[in-house]
Amino acid sequence: MSANNTWLIIAREYLTRVKKRSFIVMSILGPLIMAGVLIFSFWLSLEESEDQKILVVDDNYPYFEALEGGDRISYEVMDMSLTKAEHLLEASDYTAILYLPSNILQSKAGQLIFKKQPSFRVQRQIEESIQQYMEISKIQSFNISEADYRRLKAPFTLATFQFAGAGREAEETSMLPSVVGLVFGILIYLFIFMYSVQVMRGVIEEKTNRIIEVIISSVRPFQLMMGKIIGVGAVGLTQFFIWIMLTVVLFAVGQRVVIGEKYVAGSQQQVMTEVVQEEMMEDERLNLTQLSDSDNLFNKIRRINFPLMLGAFLFYFLGGYFLYSAMMAAVGSAVDNDTDTQQFVLPITFPLLFAYIMSFSVFENPSGDLAVWMSIIPFTSPIIMMIRIAFGIESGDMWQVYLSMTLLILTFIIMVWIAGRIYRVGILMYGKKASLKELYKWITYNI
Amino acid sequence: MPEHQHILSIDGVSKRFGNFEALKHVSFNIPAEEIFGLLGPNGAGKTTLIRTITQITAPDEGAITFKGKGLHSNHTQYFGYLPEERGLYRKMKVWDQAMYLVRLKGLEKHEAAQRLKEWFERLSMTEWVNKSVEDLSKGMQQKLQFVIAVANDPKVLILDEPFSGFDPVNTELIKQEILRIKDQGTTIIFSTHNMSSVEELCDSIALLNKGEKVIDGTVEDVKSTFRKSLYEVRFKGSKMAFANLLGYRFEIIDFQEGSVVSNAVVKAHDGATGNQLVQLITSGLELVSFQEKIPSMHDIFIDLVHEEPTTTAEE
Repeated sequence: MSANNTWLIIAREYLTRVKKRSFIVMSILGPLIMAGVLIFSFWLSLEESEDQKILVVDDNYPYFEALEGGDRISYEVMDMSLTKAEHLLEASDYTAILYLPSNILQSKAGQLIFKKQPSFRVQRQIEESIQQYMEISKIQSFNISEADYRRLKAPFTLATFQFAGAGREAEETSMLPSVVGLVFGILIYLFIFMYSVQVMRGVIEEKTNRIIEVIISSVRPFQLMMGKIIGVGAVGLTQFFIWIMLTVVLFAVGQRVVIGEKYVAGSQQQVMTEVVQEEMMEDERLNLTQLSDSDNLFNKIRRINFPLMLGAFLFYFLGGYFLYSAMMAAVGSAVDNDTDTQQFVLPITFPLLFAYIMSFSVFENPSGDLAVWMSIIPFTSPIIMMIRIAFGIESGDMWQVYLSMTLLILTFIIMVWIAGRIYRVGILMYGKKASLKELYKWITYNI
Repeated sequence: MPEHQHILSIDGVSKRFGNFEALKHVSFNIPAEEIFGLLGPNGAGKTTLIRTITQITAPDEGAITFKGKGLHSNHTQYFGYLPEERGLYRKMKVWDQAMYLVRLKGLEKHEAAQRLKEWFERLSMTEWVNKSVEDLSKGMQQKLQFVIAVANDPKVLILDEPFSGFDPVNTELIKQEILRIKDQGTTIIFSTHNMSSVEELCDSIALLNKGEKVIDGTVEDVKSTFRKSLYEVRFKGSKMAFANLLGYRFEIIDFQEGSVVSNAVVKAHDGATGNQLVQLITSGLELVSFQEKIPSMHDIFIDLVHEEPTTTAEE
């Protein structure tokens, strides 16, 4: 019974899983899907699949007659009833009807009736062009020149900076790190869930196989349990790093192939945003914001504090995983087959599930009472604190992080101890329906 | 005699689970380099006792000494164990699995490989090494399990119902291997319900019932303790003539008259001996054969436990 044996166990648990076809498939499929989704959403934001030819039904004709189209959108303003226009839409290559009702100047609302759902970008472009058209017609009626009006308008953007101490350059913040935090939080949820269930399955396998008795005549049950937990956890980390690396590589390659040219164009435009915007055509300005946004995305990705995020991820993944997989190992030892696990797995994983569900509201209010409490309680902290850390924790609140980490470590040590005591009895018990009371008795047994 | 006459001493071992007393102050010694039978009906405490010897559980009271020293976790490398409920990882390759389990016993990689290679060759298992366990027949799996139990060259090999589920050919093969291992100096603890294999293999036994040791000792001693002074006699002559010769200290229990040779079972009373019986018979009749009727282990088992020993493993 040596430390050497623990290594043998870890190695077996790790290698048998990593060599499985399902692991290899998941390792490749996961990043393909993630990079695919990223690239696809990027591509969608830049590329409109088809040109929009819009039939404008103007109840106040010829009020909107001078409406001009823009990038890949053309308008034809008509004086006809909506019903007639609908017939026309059906019979023609118009992509949509833009209905501007007679009370539009008061209600400031119109309708878009489409054949195929246009992108948000198109919708926003239509909204803006109608809004501007109406604004300009109004200022003309007030005898204000368009140039004066543009000078009146004061577009304002807010860049936010995290104070890093006097004399040090403040860091610009953005929503992106917190989105990455949310993604990491969800990954922690997924990984804890997936891999702690694997620990449980492994324990059940050894028990139902009846190989357990041979093994524990060579090693202590606690060694076997810890070897399994560590081995499976290492599989989880391997999977995570493969995912991250492959996703980054695939995304880098993909964005060069799919959106490469636009990306280059975007970075040139960066300089031009400094230029006074009045002279520009409205639709061009729109285009520009779009592109400079995408450019910012890359800058923002670069600005994320990856060492901190990865450190927090590792800590909270491992802490949460040890906590939950110890409980799952105990469950696996207490039952005779997979179907008996339900009564235990549901209550055990409930806090985890709750944290996952709440993660979205924590994302909206990361400093609220709920978020703070859930980030301190060990059963939910791995997910919730991950999200809070991504938002950045004020130095005055750092005690919460320390408390959360300390509690997580203490809880998993206690839980591993309890699980070990249940495990060493459970693995040799067959045909006995384990109740919670029974499990409590096992903890007190002298083996 | 080896340096320690007893390789294992079980000294006042008790074990309880909740309210259930699995073992009650069990004491006996296991002589070195012998095959030792651990007998008893289901639920007698055999498996619990084996688990304390293999250090899967620790006794609540009492102690077990190995070569005169208290059992220590370092000792597991000297033990080989084939449990009654046995299994293997179904998806793992035969060789990987055997290597893993043998190395857990503390063997270095090359040593484990060397030993396994020898065993695989001896039991003609070499062509399975790359198979998954799930592709092996039940008999093949049992052979593999046996090899895994013995490959670390244990000082003490514990076999819990080793023949349950074996086909006759494999049973014979494994019996020969057990005897060979014994000759090489391994002590074998052999737990079974099968009394005929006890007669065949065991040198000494201990019988457990309801957590208590009922009897222990060499098979010979146990049997002689349960001698009932019964003799089987074959002779030429009539029942009448035979009965007249015996006198008051011998009683005919059973008699089968034959045309020439008759059989009788005679019980001796008041300390009368077999010698005296022979003298009495030969004084008037021709004695064909004479034999003391020794009880079988099966009879002793039933006598002590008041239960039929089963030949299959249930539990």
